[in-house]
Amino acid sequence: MKNLTEFNKSDNIKICYVSCGQNFRRRLSELGLFDGAEIEIIKNDRWGPIIVKIFESKIALGRGEALKVYGNKI
Amino acid sequence: METKSRLLIGLTGNPNVGKSTLFNTLTGARQHVGNWPGKTVEKKEGELNFKGKKIKVVDLPGAYSLTAYTEEETITSDFILKKHPDVIIQVVDAQNLARNLYMTVQLIELGAPLIIALNMVGKPQMKTSLINAKILSQFLNVPVIVVDAREKDSTNNLLNVSLAKIRKVNGSTLKLTYGTEVDEELNQIKRFIGSKESLDKKKLNWLSLKLLEGDYRTEQIITKKPYYFELKQLVDKAKRHLEKIYNQDMNTIMANIRYGFIKGLQKELVIENLHKKTVDITEKIDNLVMNRFLGIPLFLVIILSIFQATFKLSKPMMGWIENFFGSLGQYLTNLLTSVGISKWTISLIVDGIIGGVGGVLVFVPIIAILFLFIVLLEDSGYMARVAYIMDRFMHKIGLHGKAFISLILGFGCNVPGIMATRTLETRKDRLLTILISPFMSCGARLPVYVLFAGAFFSAYQGWIIFSLYVLGIVVAIVLGFIFKKFLIKELSSPFVIELPPYHIPSLNGVLIHIWERVWLFISRAGTLILAFSIIVWALASFPLGVEYGSKASLAGLIGQKVSYVFKPLGFGNWRSSVALMFGFFAKEVIIGTFGTLYGVTDVNTTDYALITALQKDFTPLSAYSFMVFVLLYVPCMAVLAVVKRETNSWKWPLFMIFYTSIVAWTAAFIIYQGGRLIGFS
Repeated sequence: MKNLTEFNKSDNIKICYVSCGQNFRRRLSELGLFDGAEIEIIKNDRWGPIIVKIFESKIALGRGEALKVYGNKI
Repeated sequence: METKSRLLIGLTGNPNVGKSTLFNTLTGARQHVGNWPGKTVEKKEGELNFKGKKIKVVDLPGAYSLTAYTEEETITSDFILKKHPDVIIQVVDAQNLARNLYMTVQLIELGAPLIIALNMVGKPQMKTSLINAKILSQFLNVPVIVVDAREKDSTNNLLNVSLAKIRKVNGSTLKLTYGTEVDEELNQIKRFIGSKESLDKKKLNWLSLKLLEGDYRTEQIITKKPYYFELKQLVDKAKRHLEKIYNQDMNTIMANIRYGFIKGLQKELVIENLHKKTVDITEKIDNLVMNRFLGIPLFLVIILSIFQATFKLSKPMMGWIENFFGSLGQYLTNLLTSVGISKWTISLIVDGIIGGVGGVLVFVPIIAILFLFIVLLEDSGYMARVAYIMDRFMHKIGLHGKAFISLILGFGCNVPGIMATRTLETRKDRLLTILISPFMSCGARLPVYVLFAGAFFSAYQGWIIFSLYVLGIVVAIVLGFIFKKFLIKELSSPFVIELPPYHIPSLNGVLIHIWERVWLFISRAGTLILAFSIIVWALASFPLGVEYGSKASLAGLIGQKVSYVFKPLGFGNWRSSVALMFGFFAKEVIIGTFGTLYGVTDVNTTDYALITALQKDFTPLSAYSFMVFVLLYVPCMAVLAVVKRETNSWKWPLFMIFYTSIVAWTAAFIIYQGGRLIGFS
């Protein structure tokens, strides 16, 4: 289990844990990012936000936020 | 209550699904923009006639979900539950069904009189969309219409279905289940509320569900009930129980269940990516504009071009407007004098009213052109990328990536810069950006620097002016930190932003948007600016019979009285006090006022007579101190009027007057007194 910033471009990931406050967690789950969801990393530069693909949309996620989302590579 | 002779339709949906496009196609230019009562969220309404019926369409704020965690998010559910709309149209992106359906599920839970508008982009999608619409309609038990939001024909079809829907039963009869455990807890809550109050089944369902989810609005409702404490305990117990079973928190449990349902539904649908082409184009553009190294330079080039183009293009137009009002004033003066109307009345009409109206309209070209570019950036999808690119830097000073655009625009004119904060999503980001915007040295302050730097530092004019711009930025950053620390303690909004596929904005949508901004400015801020103008005029003209703005006028008298405040700053002469006072009207006026007060009629920045006059009253040090003061002190009244309009309260513009005055005085004091200490004069 690694946090999202540790994956590379085009990795497919199954989310297993989101460790953050209730409000941010529900914002993420509305977008489709919750425990058990499958996403793809679109862009992960070494700094700045990362971009993931959730369903058919691209979502940019602040680096600090991405650190709180854990998952496993499929 | 709405009268039922007029139908009420609410438009809802996720961001970036074509909701605004549909709204524009439906209502055309007949839109009204205001605020939701007591909130800073914008409310858009439009009216149309269809088959002899008057229909009012309300554009609800774009959202991903109906569960509200903040006050602002309650708007959609409030609207559905309190205003009893005849139809709720959810615009759904045919390309991204799964995520869009999450909100659909919630709308069904709420019992909204729902129609789904399946928005597809381009013809190739037609076949699959039609098949999917049929399947969705069967499963969800609501009408699903395939539309192209840009085309009148398909929106007419949508309206036909809406009219038919009104005569039938409201809401979907689909019964959603959440699994044995959740259903059991829900039933317990339902039974409890049902025993205390007689509510219809639909409302009871919704209330129980939202309580379990911790919805803000519902919590607000039940805190007022006599059985609140008991109910709260029951809900908390249910939550704890479920969270223990699922080993997840309540939101995740519900999201999982809803998405589970959607996944099941998706298996029935035809998912076919016919839009590979746009995806490829988006991919290609993104590789360039979000490139690790090229992204920022490219953005800077774009923003600087916009900056240049806006001010280059609007300058001649502003000149025309100024000339027009100038000649109109001249013409009226002559006309009214010849009819024998008193000098005082003429002055009120010409200097006060016409001058004031001109002062409002002169901003129109700049706002229109600037918003043309902003709308293009926003509607094409680039703005979301800007937020991504700039976030790493802006994050360090505690601001949202998008705030950068507002601040850059502020260098041209603070008014559109502040208006552009609308593109920021949270109130906290908006407020913080607005509060530091006035320190971006606007174009109107530049002539003051040019004149003073030319008069006192001719060899280093460029560097002196540059130093002022830098000082403005530094002050903005420092104050940003202070405000964040002490004033706006709300948690910084997490950076989550959708990057929609690129597309070419529609001309219609762009024009409507620009017109909206211009009209908002004229109608809201404009009236305030006009009122201020008349006050300033009165100060300059009373008591009766004095020369306009002279030493004997009220303004002159006040100038003499307050000049001692500026003495420690090095410019205790009454003329600068009056000039600063009129600078509140518009910074452009400062030089003109000096001209009038020194009796130099033809004022331009290379005017020798004015420079000689200034050199008598200022030393190089006090001149620099004066420029710093002009840079930092109270922004012009147009800015304050816009701040009032954007924050929806007088508190913030008044606060702005307060802190800008303190900052300006302190900075000028440090520079003048400090300069004297180290031997400058």
